[in-house]
Amino acid sequence: MTKYFSLYIIFLVFLGFFLVLNIAVGSVNISFPDACKIIFQHITDSTNGAIIWKIRLPRALATALCGACLATAGLLLQVFFRNPIVGPYILGISSGAALMVALVMLGGLSIGIFGIHPFLISIAAFAGALGVVLIILTVAARIKNIITLLVIGLMMGYLCHAVTSVLIAFAEEKKLKGFVLWQMGSFSGFCWDEVCLVSIMGGLLLFGAYLLCKPLNAFLLGEDYAKSMGVNIMVFRLLIVTFSSALAGMVTAFAGPVAFIGLAVPHMARLALGTSDNRILIPGAALLGAIVTSLCDLIARILFSPVELPISAITAFFGAPIVIGLLLRRRAAI
Amino acid sequence: MKKTQNHVTRDTVTKHETRVMEAMDLAVGYGRKTVVAGINQEMLKGQFICLLGPNGSGKTTILRTLSRLLSPLKGAVYLNGRMLNDLNSVELAKALAVVLTERLSPGLITAFEFSAMGRHPYTGFLGRLSEEDIRKTEEALLLVNAGDISDRYFNELSDGERQKVILARALAQEPEVIVLDEPTLHLDLKHRIELIAILRRFSREKGITVIVSLHDVDIALKIAETVILVKDGTITECGPPEEVVKEETIARLYDLNYAHYSNCLGAMELKANGDGAAVYVVAGGGTGTAVYRLLSKHGFNIITGVIHENDIDCHVARSIGAKVISEKPFGNIRKGKLHRSFAFLEKAECLIDSGFPIGPSNRRNLKLVLKAIERKKRVYTLRHRKPAGDLFGECAQELFYCQGVTSVLKELAKRDP
Repeated sequence: MTKYFSLYIIFLVFLGFFLVLNIAVGSVNISFPDACKIIFQHITDSTNGAIIWKIRLPRALATALCGACLATAGLLLQVFFRNPIVGPYILGISSGAALMVALVMLGGLSIGIFGIHPFLISIAAFAGALGVVLIILTVAARIKNIITLLVIGLMMGYLCHAVTSVLIAFAEEKKLKGFVLWQMGSFSGFCWDEVCLVSIMGGLLLFGAYLLCKPLNAFLLGEDYAKSMGVNIMVFRLLIVTFSSALAGMVTAFAGPVAFIGLAVPHMARLALGTSDNRILIPGAALLGAIVTSLCDLIARILFSPVELPISAITAFFGAPIVIGLLLRRRAAI
Repeated sequence: MKKTQNHVTRDTVTKHETRVMEAMDLAVGYGRKTVVAGINQEMLKGQFICLLGPNGSGKTTILRTLSRLLSPLKGAVYLNGRMLNDLNSVELAKALAVVLTERLSPGLITAFEFSAMGRHPYTGFLGRLSEEDIRKTEEALLLVNAGDISDRYFNELSDGERQKVILARALAQEPEVIVLDEPTLHLDLKHRIELIAILRRFSREKGITVIVSLHDVDIALKIAETVILVKDGTITECGPPEEVVKEETIARLYDLNYAHYSNCLGAMELKANGDGAAVYVVAGGGTGTAVYRLLSKHGFNIITGVIHENDIDCHVARSIGAKVISEKPFGNIRKGKLHRSFAFLEKAECLIDSGFPIGPSNRRNLKLVLKAIERKKRVYTLRHRKPAGDLFGECAQELFYCQGVTSVLKELAKRDP
């Protein structure tokens, strides 16, 4: 237990380090002592103060939180489907969100609305994710086989994707760019209201996910064994789908689909902590998700500054080789 | 739970008074397809029940229904007098544990953590293990001889070790009934025997009712108190193996045409009396078994006799399917039988003397050897020169001496230039 505790401490130190780095580094470089001064003395009137308090701090916090949510959602689904290549978007959540956003940005839904408010996109994305989840939940209550659920999720994804591509085909070019950028995900433009919302919702959902750790552990042995140990499969299935979709849907609503974090971070956490015990793994994956996402966002911002790269490009570019390497070195499936 | 160390017999009587589980008019299957129907079976405390039957006969379906992983199509299963469907999932988990055939890959979980999952129905909301849970898990690991591997990762264990840890998990669940589906699959002989011994310990020492499907018929019949034979959608036989299992029962159960199950030997022999060269074997007292098996393996047509019916050689020869000229138990070999043997000897190409022990009742068999020499047939013997000389006198020089059974085979191979 002390072994895990010290690892948590190390994770926290890393997280703190990247948070500060994310605040200090950017197209306008603010020295480390200045950044600390601005934060701790709550200076908002200077230019640097405005940059930090209005742009960088909310963004850094939101990035870390969203990373934690995605990693946890991925972990839940990997254990539930007993499949190492499952991520939080496997149930078609991102496709549903993308479809609704496409309808808003490209289709006729925005007619009559002056411009497109960023919050409207968030709402559309969340509605899309929710719609897919509701369909999946209805199906989940009826079918017996988990793999069928997985396939239905994939098919929902393809269906939504098909409709989206039809919308893209008919879209105007200048609108299209905005949509394509949204689809690649970005943590820019978080305001404090959104951070508060994400903190409260994300915090509750993460706590709820942690409470599922006991049946999740039983699920490591498969559905039949879990059943024989007293897990109520139907209730548990609904809870898992609800929590993981809500976590992923929330992130997608604010930041667009962020690839890879939910798929890769659970593996990293498993290997770093050396256990599949979800009581230890869930907090570990959340912390590691926050760290990795913060790092990726940092790279996305500074690599070709002032041009900002899409976050999904960075996460995939750096994460995929790491995961392949880790897995090859040590056989650690679910 | 009672300790059974001292009064084993008394305890066997008392434990069988309590009925733990009962299937009444049960039909099992998937959807509309009934696999096995008409199951009426009571299962007693501490009873060792074994399901036997060919692949696809429905053993797994029955076991899954008994453990509520499948719903019955008709009838019901009762656990301690309550219908299985009326129990909530935790009540059921505290009374019944399962060991399934699916291959497990739980990830980075140690053997101890794996076994501790058996405590699931007893732990609190977050699954934190109490001291009692830890103690019970350790006890379970010790009982299955897995105390030394408890810190290793489950995925890195061998098949045999894994299976023991899986048993420990089931035991840590402290059930009254353990249902196991082919737990000896993929195991080597040592682990097979060890696993069965552990299961017997469950039933005898812990009073757990063990319901298991096995493929090893010989082991099953030796260990089970009750066997249930499943074939073609029904239970064909059910009861103590000593009563219900006859030699033909097993052959019929598995549709065996090419092998024979010998109840007395408690083992299978491949029926393989070949149509190769006919060889007459004079044997007795167990000296012939290796010769028979070797010859049948290489396709020889075996004739043997005269053997007493109570001789192990007689059982083996019959199981293999050899032509056997036999004599009644404990009687002297009669002249008539000897002359019948002479007639068969004429058909044989050569004769093998297995070096059988000689007593008053089978002394006449020596005449077969002499007769073979007289008829100019080759005679291979497994005796040494000295005792052979004492027995056969001058004729002993005509014999081919072989050291060990395999050298007989080499000599036989030489016979045709």
